[in-house]
Amino acid sequence: MNWAALDLSIVGPALLAGAIVLSTHVPLGREVLRRGIIFIDLAVAQTAGVGVVAANLMGWDVHGVAAQLAAFGAALGAAFLLTWTESRFEQLQEALIGLLFVLAATGGILLLAGNPRGGEELKDLLVGQILWVDLHTLWPAALISAAVVALWLKGRQWLGRPGFYVLFALSVTISVQLIGIFLVFASLIAPALAVYTFKRFALVVGYGVGLFGYLAGLMLSAQFDLPTGAIIVWAVVALAIVTAAYAPASWRR
Amino acid sequence: MQPFRYLAILGFGLGLAQAPAYADLSVFTCEAEWASLASELGGDHVRAEAAVSGMQDMHFLQARPSLIAKVRSADLIVCTGAELEVGWLPLLLRQANNPAVQPGNPGFMAASDYVDLLEVPAVIDRSLGDIHPYGNPHIQTDPRNIAKVAAAMAERLQALDPEFADYYAMRHAEFDGRWRAAIDRWTEAAEPLRGTAVVTHHKSWVYMISWLGLREVGTLEPKPGVPPSTSHLATLLGQLEGENVRLIVRSAYENSRGSHWLAERTGVTAEVLPHTVGSVEGTDDLFAMFDVMIERLLANAR
Repeated sequence: MNWAALDLSIVGPALLAGAIVLSTHVPLGREVLRRGIIFIDLAVAQTAGVGVVAANLMGWDVHGVAAQLAAFGAALGAAFLLTWTESRFEQLQEALIGLLFVLAATGGILLLAGNPRGGEELKDLLVGQILWVDLHTLWPAALISAAVVALWLKGRQWLGRPGFYVLFALSVTISVQLIGIFLVFASLIAPALAVYTFKRFALVVGYGVGLFGYLAGLMLSAQFDLPTGAIIVWAVVALAIVTAAYAPASWRR
Repeated sequence: MQPFRYLAILGFGLGLAQAPAYADLSVFTCEAEWASLASELGGDHVRAEAAVSGMQDMHFLQARPSLIAKVRSADLIVCTGAELEVGWLPLLLRQANNPAVQPGNPGFMAASDYVDLLEVPAVIDRSLGDIHPYGNPHIQTDPRNIAKVAAAMAERLQALDPEFADYYAMRHAEFDGRWRAAIDRWTEAAEPLRGTAVVTHHKSWVYMISWLGLREVGTLEPKPGVPPSTSHLATLLGQLEGENVRLIVRSAYENSRGSHWLAERTGVTAEVLPHTVGSVEGTDDLFAMFDVMIERLLANAR
């Protein structure tokens, strides 16, 4: 344990990656909660993973552009499928999302039978480690996320249901590779849940919960030498609970 | 090293202080065996730490900020190399951004550069499993390899810390004498094991097997890195008929279910052998590691 572990150049890229993911996930998370489709990101992320596995089987470089397109293509496919199922079987949407998740997860296993390298790549994709984030690779993620946030906050009416699923597929595909599925899920649901009853400041407080959660998690990880992604999840959720419990009544509905 | 005052801000208020450990050289190793070797050779002048503990799988690593900080402040990095740590070492080196310890510089040492690797594949085909193109990287289970790496590491320490070059040379000569005597002792004790048939979990024991003249008649993993499947175990069971297998060997971090499945059906003992320092009880240094390895082999395989 030492001060050096909290060096900004060590935890800085991780914090930046967290901020980029939160920028899209806090507003999208509120929509996910509103629609009651909590497990959608697990399903979409798993499907993106299957896209990468398929790219791998075709001999494409898993870290190349082609694999990224395959991941996004698969996620987009899942998104359109879910748009259709939501219009067709609205009451069953959450159950169908759950089934899509297990089908994608086990589909990956079936495709990968006997291919350990591919297994590692899939694992990399789903449990991207936030500390390994490279500043250079953050640029595309930051630009795409900015576009997603702008589109979502300005053009939600115009985008409608399909637009939501497309933006969601894009955000999740990018984020999962940066920080892993557990952190993505926590970033999507915990801040949105913290401000669920808010009528004022919901977005600002949601962002605050996320950012301070990441910051606290990174400090705890440096101080107690704990795996970074896991402890951030705990910090974000803890902060979300405190916020939900102690927010002023005047902010609430 | 100072107390962390900001913890009070977070409400923990725990200022944890640590006494500064003075050393000339800070050595950061990937695996526990190289940290132990660096301590043997460096004595009071080296502070050595390993990224992966004896109980953990060196193929994978959970990222922690302290690891990046340690690489950043390290004078020498010692890893096995030969792509054993390919999944995480390049990322760790990149994040630490310490030019002195990048591969190609005196501050980076790949132990596998100093030994003859076994199982160098003629053709690389990913479909054959997690094959390492430079050969099998699990070199530390043959003590003669440790001796070669020790000589190279002693040279590195002398080059990086010339002021105490004599000290490192002296410690290496002393270690080398004790180590060679120990190798003779282990080799002699293990003489009755020559030709003994064993099954291993992963292909991580080939150097021990070649050193002691054992015979590997099968592995639990159908291909390196692929977990044992029921069908492969059943095939293996058929293959083992007629072979007088005496031991099923695995490392401490490997799942025991495959070896127990096979042990139950064959009556052969399944045993964890120490693959590195600190991997099983009583293996606090390199000497103890091989003592326990030979002891367990003799106890089960004779």
